[in-house]
Amino acid sequence: MGVRGAPSDAEVVARVLGGDREAFGLVVRRYEAGLLRFATRMLGSRDAAADAVAESLVRAYRHLASCREPARLRTWLYRIVANRCKSHLARRPVGDVSLDEAAPVADPTDNSAALERTEQLALVERALATLSPEKREAFVLKHVEGLSYEEMAAVTGERIPTLKMRVHRARESLLKLLEDHQ
Amino acid sequence: MNPLDPRIHEALDGEREASALPEELARAVRPLERAVALLAAHVPGPSLEGRVLAAIRAPAPRRGGRFVQWLVTPHSITFHVRPVWSVAFAAVVAVLTLFPTGHHGPDIGEREGIAQFVGRFPGARSVSVVGSFNDWRDGSIALEDIDHDGVWRATVVLPTGAYEYMFVVDGERFVPDHLADRLVADDFGRENSVVIVRPARR
Repeated sequence: MGVRGAPSDAEVVARVLGGDREAFGLVVRRYEAGLLRFATRMLGSRDAAADAVAESLVRAYRHLASCREPARLRTWLYRIVANRCKSHLARRPVGDVSLDEAAPVADPTDNSAALERTEQLALVERALATLSPEKREAFVLKHVEGLSYEEMAAVTGERIPTLKMRVHRARESLLKLLEDHQ
Repeated sequence: MNPLDPRIHEALDGEREASALPEELARAVRPLERAVALLAAHVPGPSLEGRVLAAIRAPAPRRGGRFVQWLVTPHSITFHVRPVWSVAFAAVVAVLTLFPTGHHGPDIGEREGIAQFVGRFPGARSVSVVGSFNDWRDGSIALEDIDHDGVWRATVVLPTGAYEYMFVVDGERFVPDHLADRLVADDFGRENSVVIVRPARR
């Protein structure tokens, strides 16, 4: 159920399906940050991720009636975005994950710690980009988005043992890559 | 790549108490925890709400419209072909290339050949060729300058033999072709070009 005072996902879905189109804004506000982070980590580009998430949300709205479990709207949305990201990656040449060329622009209040953090993030993103899309997806869903293996199975359509194996391999690959850059 | 100690995976999967991990294992997993903390940070940028709501307020594209959109949108098409079919396809192409089954272009009789007329006339409005093959009648064989580079061309089928000819530029100026097989003097004190048409089929 939702936070006290905030309608639950099921209530929002019912309102939208009942004709309150603007209520879909609640869905966007509730989940866009997580979906955008997930897509950014998958695609390596904030702009491509924003396009993928926006298109996915429009698609979700148009097919909202086919969301069989409105209470699990979050995993349904992740599934649509994950599929969009896979389509996007499939259109690219093999191994091409376009990390945004430009590093995040330094804020005037940036200090050396913030800059170091930016450099570390770029290093981690590069390491993440070397993983296969399947391992990257599993790792990000598990550790960055905090989904359970059951939720990940609903998002990806894969079996839990398969997802566990991917997450384990991704951890090992990432640790090795990060150690090499120490 | 060395596999991690299974206890690390169990702890990260929530199947074992992370605080119960031996210190050396806990230390081994810290780079991963730091990486996750960085990746889990908020991705800055403007909200997508306005963009999404604007899109859903617009009428949904009709099925026919989506089909048209699909038709005009570039799609990448990937063929997965077994090597044996690739080799067979290459063999068929090679056979068709090396041993053509037909011919392209005009039908040519045994006593006919192809004559090509080419002249450089920059700025000309029209160029034709007149000669003994068309009784010196202007306009029956027009040259073309398709790419507008000043070079005019025509290819025609003529009975085999030797023919005198001249170019007619802009319908009034008679110009011999100095690149012809040979030049001969005509009855009016000028030079005609000569083309020799040989049989195309041997």
